Amino acid sequence: MVFIAILIGCILGAIVGINVPTISYSYSSYLAIAIVAALDSVFGGITGVLKREFDFKIFISGFFCNSILSILLTYLGNKLDVDIYLAAIVVFVGRMFLNLTIIRKYYIDKWSKKYQEYKDRRKTTEKQNL
Amino acid sequence: MKKGKIVMTITIGIVCFLLTMIIFMQFKVVRETEETNIDTMQEAELRQELANWKSKYDETKERYDEISATLESYKEETSSDSQTKETLEAELENLELQLGKTDVEGEGVVITLSEKSEQELEEEEQIISIKAEDLVYIVNYLKDSGAEAISINDERIVNTTDIADVGDAIKINSKYLRTDTYTIKAIGNSSYLESSIFGKGGYAEQLSTTGIKTEIEKLDKVEISKYDGEFEIKYIEEAE
Repeated sequence: MVFIAILIGCILGAIVGINVPTISYSYSSYLAIAIVAALDSVFGGITGVLKREFDFKIFISGFFCNSILSILLTYLGNKLDVDIYLAAIVVFVGRMFLNLTIIRKYYIDKWSKKYQEYKDRRKTTEKQNL
Repeated sequence: MKKGKIVMTITIGIVCFLLTMIIFMQFKVVRETEETNIDTMQEAELRQELANWKSKYDETKERYDEISATLESYKEETSSDSQTKETLEAELENLELQLGKTDVEGEGVVITLSEKSEQELEEEEQIISIKAEDLVYIVNYLKDSGAEAISINDERIVNTTDIADVGDAIKINSKYLRTDTYTIKAIGNSSYLESSIFGKGGYAEQLSTTGIKTEIEKLDKVEISKYDGEFEIKYIEEAE
């Protein structure tokens, strides 16, 4: 059910995104930072699911607040002539790598456990056969 | 299915929708801006470029202002120059008029001196040809009575004019006149001019005793041609 929703959302988003009129180039940096923030939220959410501490409210609020905040920070940076968006990107991408590490470790653990179980089972069956 | 789960599913769908939409919009923007030149330039580069152009503009504008100011001053100068030119020209004209460098006309007299033929001579008279001296006297008398321009046989009398006997000729303005008839034209008050020579006991009376016939004609318009020669200055300088 959730996967269907994700799939439909992605397809619809791609179609609308391609057909929407082009926005001005000067706003594209805001969009880019919002994308990075949103992706960070998504990875954070996946990590939360894997750790079994996923909170839907926190995920949604993080998704929107991080995006909007990063846009505002970029705007402020433009006004101050300081590249604040660089700091935002460093933080978001760093967190994304942390979350990816957690996800990777989780699945490696899971698969190595399964492999171990499979090996053990084979050993026991071999012993039984003998 | 629980109500909370449905809401969550829909929300996640919306989140996915927004995320992919924004991502694809960004892709599109980046792809399109790569195609055109100026749009792909970073804002900082554009700002730099703009600043360059602005400084160039300022420089050019400054130079333009300077040049237009000089142009303005030149214009003023030329207008004042043309004024001075006009006054100078008027002065020059006046001077040339006085010097005799121009053809002039005006009220005046025409005096003709000629030698009497033998039949006209009276008993005591004898033929004496016209001398430079006679002409000098007449010219002086005419000047005395306010003649503004004088010519002898169309030789303009100017301040360098010489009137002298050279052999049997009379040299006027370095030209030798050999003739027995002299026409003296003078511009001025014709009555004054006449009386200065033809008055009682005047020079005309004196001349007639030496066999020289004098005639005078008073005219409203006497034409006197200009002096042909050059005024050469070799030795004189303006005193300090």
